[in-house]
Amino acid sequence: MSQTGNILVIGAGIAGMKASLMLAGASSKVYLVEKLPIIGGKVIKNEESFPNLECSTCMVAPIQQDVLQNPNIETLTYSVVEKIEGSAGDFSVVIRKRARYISLTDCIGCGMCYEPCPVSLKNEWEENLIDRKAIYVPCSGSLPNVPVIDSEHCLRIGGGEDCSLCAEACAFEAINLDDSDEIIEVNVGAVILATGSATFDLSSIPDLGYGTLPGVYAPMEFERLFASNGPTLGEITLRDSEKIPESVAIIHCVGRREQKYCSAVCCMYSFKFARFLKHKIPSVRVFNIYSDICVPGKSYQSFYRSVEGADTEMLYTSSIGDVSVSESGSGLKVSYPDAAVSPQSLNVDMVILAAALVADPDVAQLAEVAGVDLDPQGFIKTVLDGSGSMETSREGVFVAGTAEGPKDIQNSVVQAESAAGQVAEIMTSQASSS
Amino acid sequence: MKEFEMQESGQDRKLRAKVGVYICECGPNIAGKVDLDRIITDISELDDYQDVELVVKKYGFLCSAPGKEYLEEEINSNGFTHLVIGACSPRDHDSTFMGVCKKTDLNPYLYRIINIREHCSWVIDDKEKATVKAESYIRGGIARVLRQSELFEKPLDINPDVLIIGGGVAGMEAALSLSSDDRRVFLVEKTDRLGGVSIDLSGILPGQGEVIGKKIESVLGNGNIRVFLNTRVENVIGFLGNFEIELLSEENTEITEIMSGAIVVAAGGTLFDPRESDRYSYSGSDEVYTSLSIEKMFAGDDGAVLRSGKQPSSVALIHCVGREEKNYCSGICCSYMMKLACFFKKQSADIQVTEFYRDICLPKKNDQERFSEAQAAGVALIRIKDISLKGTNVSFERISGDKDKQSFDMVVLAPALEPSADTEYFADLLTVPLDEFGFFQEVHKMTNPVGTATDGVFIVGAAHGPKGVSDSMQFARASAGQILTRLIPGEKLIPEVAVTEISEAYCTGCGNCLEVCVYGAIYSDDSRGISVVNEAVCRGCGNCFGSCPSGALRTKHFTNTQLYREVDEALR
Amino acid sequence: MEKSSEFTPAIVGFLCNWCTYAAADLAGSSKLELPPSFTVIRVMCSSRIDHNLLLSTFFKGADGILVAGCHPGDCHYGEGNYYARRRFALLKKVMETLDMDPERLQLSWVSAAEGKRYAEVVGEFTEKIKELGPNPIKNSTRF
Repeated sequence: MSQTGNILVIGAGIAGMKASLMLAGASSKVYLVEKLPIIGGKVIKNEESFPNLECSTCMVAPIQQDVLQNPNIETLTYSVVEKIEGSAGDFSVVIRKRARYISLTDCIGCGMCYEPCPVSLKNEWEENLIDRKAIYVPCSGSLPNVPVIDSEHCLRIGGGEDCSLCAEACAFEAINLDDSDEIIEVNVGAVILATGSATFDLSSIPDLGYGTLPGVYAPMEFERLFASNGPTLGEITLRDSEKIPESVAIIHCVGRREQKYCSAVCCMYSFKFARFLKHKIPSVRVFNIYSDICVPGKSYQSFYRSVEGADTEMLYTSSIGDVSVSESGSGLKVSYPDAAVSPQSLNVDMVILAAALVADPDVAQLAEVAGVDLDPQGFIKTVLDGSGSMETSREGVFVAGTAEGPKDIQNSVVQAESAAGQVAEIMTSQASSS
Repeated sequence: MKEFEMQESGQDRKLRAKVGVYICECGPNIAGKVDLDRIITDISELDDYQDVELVVKKYGFLCSAPGKEYLEEEINSNGFTHLVIGACSPRDHDSTFMGVCKKTDLNPYLYRIINIREHCSWVIDDKEKATVKAESYIRGGIARVLRQSELFEKPLDINPDVLIIGGGVAGMEAALSLSSDDRRVFLVEKTDRLGGVSIDLSGILPGQGEVIGKKIESVLGNGNIRVFLNTRVENVIGFLGNFEIELLSEENTEITEIMSGAIVVAAGGTLFDPRESDRYSYSGSDEVYTSLSIEKMFAGDDGAVLRSGKQPSSVALIHCVGREEKNYCSGICCSYMMKLACFFKKQSADIQVTEFYRDICLPKKNDQERFSEAQAAGVALIRIKDISLKGTNVSFERISGDKDKQSFDMVVLAPALEPSADTEYFADLLTVPLDEFGFFQEVHKMTNPVGTATDGVFIVGAAHGPKGVSDSMQFARASAGQILTRLIPGEKLIPEVAVTEISEAYCTGCGNCLEVCVYGAIYSDDSRGISVVNEAVCRGCGNCFGSCPSGALRTKHFTNTQLYREVDEALR
Repeated sequence: MEKSSEFTPAIVGFLCNWCTYAAADLAGSSKLELPPSFTVIRVMCSSRIDHNLLLSTFFKGADGILVAGCHPGDCHYGEGNYYARRRFALLKKVMETLDMDPERLQLSWVSAAEGKRYAEVVGEFTEKIKELGPNPIKNSTRF
């Protein structure tokens, strides 16, 4: 008695992909809906992931390939879920498959369509550190390796102009400039929300200079800088000046006071950054400015100890929420309170802010569609029945990964597996009762 | 240096081989960079092979729906014995074309995809050179495919039942998540009661005891969960889907044999003994307690009082006991120590409570409150660089560098969470490796934290690593998720097909292969004096092959004979 | 610009499926230039490679052999690449006793994201073999 029945998974990051693969393996048909044009989520934006500094692509690419090739998983990229009606065991779902303008079956990823496009704008996936065209894939190695046309900025689709240079350059007739959104209605027995999280809005703390001082970086920006498939092909050069930094300060806990929780991953990625910097620029001086080091679990502290001293100097501050960054000559000055002595300061070329993980800005919309409650911090709430259940306030709808709260990859996967287990149980009881 | 060759594919010996060679144009990507017509002519005219007929064609997009239909039709109408596809990377479409073969009579392991795009047309600019290279690759592919063997899926019957070792919160959660009318759970607990360490934690937070109590009731009342108390696991053999286990009852020394498809190790953890560290010296008569003892006291009627029964006037709560010594942070202590600090204050507002910590580690999204509650309750929080204890005299170095000493009526220590004493025993029994801390080693810290190298054996709770009650239950549910989606009652498992086998004739039983196999897929057959591969467990990596001095191993889909054909062509 | 000879070395690369082969694919989709004289042969793990295969490949006339796998710690099969490394070191010694230049055999670690690096490794190795000249075994009467 195999488990048949359809399942909806929203979000194709590590949690969504893992849950999808598990359920597909149990013969369920999975609709995997992803709002971006590519799958892989946030993990693929890191060159390496802690604690082993394992190559993220090596880790995730087989999972992405499995998802795309699994006959039981229908991956709907560049799509959003607009309605989830019904109840556990019988949900009616409306999915809007946004117009990509390029056929997923005909396009073979040759890339000939990019060059002729006359429109150039910032690539948001690359944290605006490099430009893209109106027809683009977010990065080299994107999966699916099929571009999308940004309809808003396309001269033809957004501007009504008579341009079809990309279509003309395509030897496969894969581009359809008259494409339109498609509405798909499916019936599923259960839903898993694995929509991830976002980074704390750093511009809300003007004292840190993010957005005003070019040498101040958000964590994702630095990840892309270090990435070998990133905007600088892995070279660490400062924006605007293109200089290689000689000194870098990494400031921990940015946003912890405001959010009133510890995001649990920032200390580790801050040490990872220190390791990246020292590895790439052996003469660089790195400083981690911190007040409490949070490295729970068996795997993390040893990494911290290996970075401390060897790759970075640890600078304690008695009040991490009162650190500030200002301009100083051609560089930056970081000021931080220290209970023992009068306020300290440090001159560096570059500052990286270890920012809190916060709820994704689209989650309120998703919560409404999915009919689920959010917790006070804005994340999707579980029933909290003291058993590790991943069920939300709506029966049959589950959550996994950072959509539920800040956590590392390991815990996202554990939650995805838990949710998949709970869904599998529903589907079995469905099958036996029908 | 002749390599042992087992019977190659029967087909190319007995019948005339007919190889279909289909080259994908992939638009200008291959057709534009490589002279396909020349390749087709050259290969059609090859006289390298006796008794081999070659049919060579090109096609627009073989991976498209019409392309796949075309291929299927071609295979069927031509009756090909082998198939070679010159196209893109196997990572793109190997499974696509295997799928096509599966619809026909052609065994999918007698087909091969040759990468003439990513490794040829896309990286060689000169058309002449690219053509020569593509042709070379395709010829190598033909030579190789002719040496490939038919391989078949061998679906295995499986037992969906599960053995759970350990009746604590993790074990119980796994049992409740897994049990159903067509899946029995055997929950084995060495002590005389369920609940594990959580029983001692069950008194102090509102509702906490009830939750645990209800769980125990649910487990005991569940007809699909068979609970064995006072029982140990004596012996385990088998593999995913087919484990045979012997249980030993401590009471009547009876052995019970059970079978299961999976094993969940929820053997728990234990507390580090602070006296193993030079930092903490105290005797049994000192008022020094571990956090667990204090929890038990708070759960009792008298509260956390001194041996004399009097209220302590000052209490020191020392965090991170064992953190430096073990080199990991247990992740739960800051949270519960602040809880205990507040409990002392609630017990009596006059108690002077001081917490000594190295870092505040409160990683859960709702735990930051604990810190503010402790502060609001008037708990003194002192950050230290180092600390030591003699009885209830605490010597510490503040973060500023100042050294200080203070005496307390009572000292509470938060010891690190360690692997339980049984861990090594189970590691041996189940052939699961241990990590550098003595916890069970997971397959992959990030993408597969509950799996182990012995597929079918899962590790949850504190057995995996230091964690609290809620994380333990989460891990338990994750293992349940894996089992529920992989071991489905009535369905068979299909293990890896391209595995390795050992020739009895050539094997000397040296055991090198056995030692290097991380999956434990090779076992020793003493009666024949050889090593044998369990094809249900083998992943086909070939590490064993590299270790064999006798040439007795055959990696079925990657034999040296097959690889030599590719080498041969490359070096022509 | 190139060195004296017209010599184009025949180099065989044994790439592990999970990391290096993926890097080679990435180099391909990035349209990086790679020497046509380099032939890719895919294996599941670098640990699969044994001495017979490598020596036979030399005897058949390879001027150089590149074995490439995942970085230590990243092996898809756990520890395969550690075994590959050990066997490799041993084989280099064996090559010396056979009067073969161990520099003709190289073991590299390339991860799936390192398309550019893969191209660099292949390019540099090809240059090195060009300088070493043709494999003397091809004309040898010893084997």
